[in-house]
Amino acid sequence: MNSDDFTAKLMSDMDARLLDFVKTKVNSFIKWDLVRFFHENPNTADSVENIAKYAGRNPVAVKPELEELVETGVMVRQNIGGIPVYRLADSAEMHQLIEDFISACEDRHFRVKAVYHIIRGMR
Amino acid sequence: MERVKTGVPGLDEMLHGGFLRQTANLVEGATGTGKTTFGMQFIYNGIVLYNEPGLVLTFEEFPQQYYRDAENFGWDFRRLEAQGKLKVIMTSPEVTKHDLESVGGMIETMVTEMGARRLLVDSLSHFERLATDPVELREIQYKFINALKREGLTSVLTRESPTLFGQQEESEAGVTFVADSYVLLRYVEMESAVHKALLVLKLRGSDHAKDIRQFAITPTGIEVQARFEGREGIMSGTPRMADYFARAFIDR
Repeated sequence: MNSDDFTAKLMSDMDARLLDFVKTKVNSFIKWDLVRFFHENPNTADSVENIAKYAGRNPVAVKPELEELVETGVMVRQNIGGIPVYRLADSAEMHQLIEDFISACEDRHFRVKAVYHIIRGMR
Repeated sequence: MERVKTGVPGLDEMLHGGFLRQTANLVEGATGTGKTTFGMQFIYNGIVLYNEPGLVLTFEEFPQQYYRDAENFGWDFRRLEAQGKLKVIMTSPEVTKHDLESVGGMIETMVTEMGARRLLVDSLSHFERLATDPVELREIQYKFINALKREGLTSVLTRESPTLFGQQEESEAGVTFVADSYVLLRYVEMESAVHKALLVLKLRGSDHAKDIRQFAITPTGIEVQARFEGREGIMSGTPRMADYFARAFIDR
């Protein structure tokens, strides 16, 4: 086993559900910020522009990330009066997954592993 | 007439029992006077004391801030949310306007699902960004308030007052006509200290107390206290001693 394989194995040593969540759903730092924001403010429902404002990010950068979160079932998009409005998906299972992810992030080792997977995914 | 008690000590007596059911009630004051605290207390008491689930609609402060502020008064908003009796919704006036205009919108669905009876809108001032024309703005606010009534909600709508002390500027008055009641919170300077005053200016369809009361934000929320005795010009922000009071107690 070479050192890269060893690192990958070490970094994948986490709850399989959370590993999948990081690899396939929260696979960017903006998504991480958004998921944390919606976890802390769960009944937020707003336009891209306003969500970007809340997150202190550029709407151009936030829009594709929100769209991907919709595609992966983390969030839902609803058209209200011609405005695309984003909010957390209603699924209790998804809420639990987000809750578990945010709780896991309190552990520095988990955060290091999550950052590793996000950076790898960005390559 | 069915009354909706605020549960704020001293206020329901001033309102002759509380707000009227299915009405929009404007609470106006400068920053820090306690508008949001009042609104949160109205919602919390509704759930805990009167079994009336509630919604908080915020246009600026993050819900997280409400959870934290409420906790300081011993009101566990997160627990009430988990019990399905409360939702703190963050959105924008634009989205809210369109949402309430549509059938089966987000707010309508929440009201139906939760059986919500009370609403805090914090703050109505944010609607001012939807229109620069005062006539158009008044129409938007009128439609918004009517939609809330249509949903069967008794609402508290906060509005920011631009002046801290003294005579209030002639602000956008439309909403004060549209609202069913109008409660004013003011800072008052007396003897080098800042006090807070509360006045019920209007309560459509009912009599109400006309006197100006002191109020305090205590560790358990707002408490309306005694009227300002022996002072005149309270709402100017810098009251003077009333002549009768000076004659009776000072000039003797």
